[in-house]
Amino acid sequence: MNKVWAVVRREFVERVRSRWFLISTVLGPVFMIVVTVLPALLAGSGGGARHIALLDEGSGTLADRLVTQLETGNQFRVDRVTATEGGAPAAMAELTSRVQANAIEGFLVVSGSTLESGKLEYRGRNVSSIRDVALLQSAARQAVMMERLTRRGVDPAIVQESEARISMTTLRISKRGTTGETSEAAFFLAYIIGFVMYMAIFLYSVNVMRSVLEEKQTRIIEVLVSSLRPFQLLLGKVVGVGAVGLLQMGIWGAAAAALIRYRDVVFGLFKVPAQQAALIQLPAIGTGLVAMVLAYFLLGYLLYSAMFAVVGATVSTDSEAQQAQMPVVMLLIPGILVFPAVLNDPAGRLSHVMGLVPFWSPIIMPIRAAASDVPPAEVAASLAILAVTVVAVVWVAARIYRVGILMYGKRPGIGELVRWARQS
Amino acid sequence: MTSDPIIQIDGITKRFGDFVAVSTLSLSVPRGAVYGLLGPNGAGKTTTIRMLMDIIIPDEGTVRLFGDARGGREHSADIGYLPEERGLYRKMRVLDTLVFLAETKGVPRDAARRKAEEWLGRLDLGEWGMKKVEELSKGMQQKVQFIATMLHEPALLILDEPFAGLDPINTQTLKDVIVHLSRAGTTIVFSTHQMDVAERICDHVCIIAAGRKVLDGPLAEVKRVHGGTHVAVAFEGGRELAVPIISDPRLVAKADDYGGYAELALADGVQPQSLLERLVASAARLQRFEHIEPSLNRIFLDKVGAAGARPRNPEASRE
Repeated sequence: MNKVWAVVRREFVERVRSRWFLISTVLGPVFMIVVTVLPALLAGSGGGARHIALLDEGSGTLADRLVTQLETGNQFRVDRVTATEGGAPAAMAELTSRVQANAIEGFLVVSGSTLESGKLEYRGRNVSSIRDVALLQSAARQAVMMERLTRRGVDPAIVQESEARISMTTLRISKRGTTGETSEAAFFLAYIIGFVMYMAIFLYSVNVMRSVLEEKQTRIIEVLVSSLRPFQLLLGKVVGVGAVGLLQMGIWGAAAAALIRYRDVVFGLFKVPAQQAALIQLPAIGTGLVAMVLAYFLLGYLLYSAMFAVVGATVSTDSEAQQAQMPVVMLLIPGILVFPAVLNDPAGRLSHVMGLVPFWSPIIMPIRAAASDVPPAEVAASLAILAVTVVAVVWVAARIYRVGILMYGKRPGIGELVRWARQS
Repeated sequence: MTSDPIIQIDGITKRFGDFVAVSTLSLSVPRGAVYGLLGPNGAGKTTTIRMLMDIIIPDEGTVRLFGDARGGREHSADIGYLPEERGLYRKMRVLDTLVFLAETKGVPRDAARRKAEEWLGRLDLGEWGMKKVEELSKGMQQKVQFIATMLHEPALLILDEPFAGLDPINTQTLKDVIVHLSRAGTTIVFSTHQMDVAERICDHVCIIAAGRKVLDGPLAEVKRVHGGTHVAVAFEGGRELAVPIISDPRLVAKADDYGGYAELALADGVQPQSLLERLVASAARLQRFEHIEPSLNRIFLDKVGAAGARPRNPEASRE
């Protein structure tokens, strides 16, 4: 057992010491902070009052209402320009050059017929901003509607009341009750978890393959198997590399938890104004979800690292490994391809089926759990199928590995692999 | 030297497909011996050693190490093994590599570290412990590998072609280490096809060819039994006068001309004295005439000959 422990420690220490580990471990939290803080900061630069002009071509009181509407909520700062009879083209040319000189974002043209036809025009640099255009439209709609009502003699108090702005929040309901988490946050969390599961399982399994291949290529394998049984070596390798994966996920998880817990401190650090910070929703992560992520990572990693170990044991060069790993990679890929479909309908039939297939369940199930509720019986069934598959695959993989590590030269075919697995 | 052998191989056979790599081979290595496993390329030396080490399992026959049949891996703490193909983890530090390999032999971490530093110092690598293996020259890497083989102070060293690819300085270093360990009581088994090296260090030899044993035993006895009568002759001048005599098959069975001198195997029943008389009478000016032991190389060539040469195992890489 001490021998296995020596292998575990070697795999762990050599990896944790590597530059690759350091960079990816640090980049994780940096990425989290960037995706949290950046939108808030951008909301700041985008959310400040935009300086625009309103060109009034004899629209009368409608122009007053529009200015009021636009300036409530501090979204716009409006310069009012009144065009004299026949002076509109000159005023437009002048405003256009102000836009070009970056003095204003753009200008809104309101004419005498606007009230009748409901047509107005906006020219500006920011017409591609969906948010700005939506704000302009809703302000114009409100102003036109209020002006029409007023001119028909509706009580000004009623008109005032009709101005009510609405804002709708969407909250996710789960079995535990309303979570207080918005649908965007749940979606975002599910997406990140799915991506991290895929990357972690893939990268660490490939690490096992590289480690197997390195021992073959350097020929040190022969010294090792004269002291350890091949299974002990493989076991130590898988555990050691897996421990690195757990450590990295632990660091990332702790960073995420810290970010959620101390979000105000983080936002303060980047000088994000409070009302913009409030726009950013951070998801809540429950212990159940954490447990599921860990369980599926461990089993998924065991499954794929065993298969990648076989790839490493049956090839002799890096380029052969590139080719030989394709079938295993292809096996993992469907788990990624159905990502959007599963996120769209986490309780749908596709999600059910994919969640039970052991090659994909390690990616699909945590996504589903993050995006909606998954019945415990289904989780249990999925984990059981996965665990049985892991045992079977590891058993076969260990037998192929044992023979493969001492073979060089031509790559074995499927028939030969079966023969190796059957050999006593 | 106790009487029970440290290695006892009985009738082992290993086939790879239709190819018989080793056929009913038996041998025994006494404790404390420096044992040379000799044979041409493809004779089955590496396959035999791998079966000794429990890396591959014989199809037939038994291997007993230290008096039992549990296999090399069970005794790995007492065995140092240097495989034919060398290699170390390239990115790993030298000291860490040595400690790790010793740990896989069951040496506790602290002791492994202490011994590794000691050995590195002894082989002039003291300052390289914290360097990565790939930063070392090839010669230095070979030394590191020797250390890894011997660090855990095994009672039995099994070295597969240890001198292949070594420069003269490392060859000398390794020879010194082997002699040193042998004096300290370590049993050493090594394979080689370099007969001059084997002749200088071995006290026991086993020659195999085409997977079968040709002969084995203590070196002196092998020479006595299989050698015949050999003389070395060298001439100062008049060599041509001697040629008819040394090429007379009634007198000389075989002649190896090494340029400076010739090694002659006398025909059965011919005494060196009678050859000397003939040469003196021929008026060739003798510089040297010496009754010598046959060289191991001569015996090897005689016994293995052309019959022993065969193409390498078609699945050689699997040996």
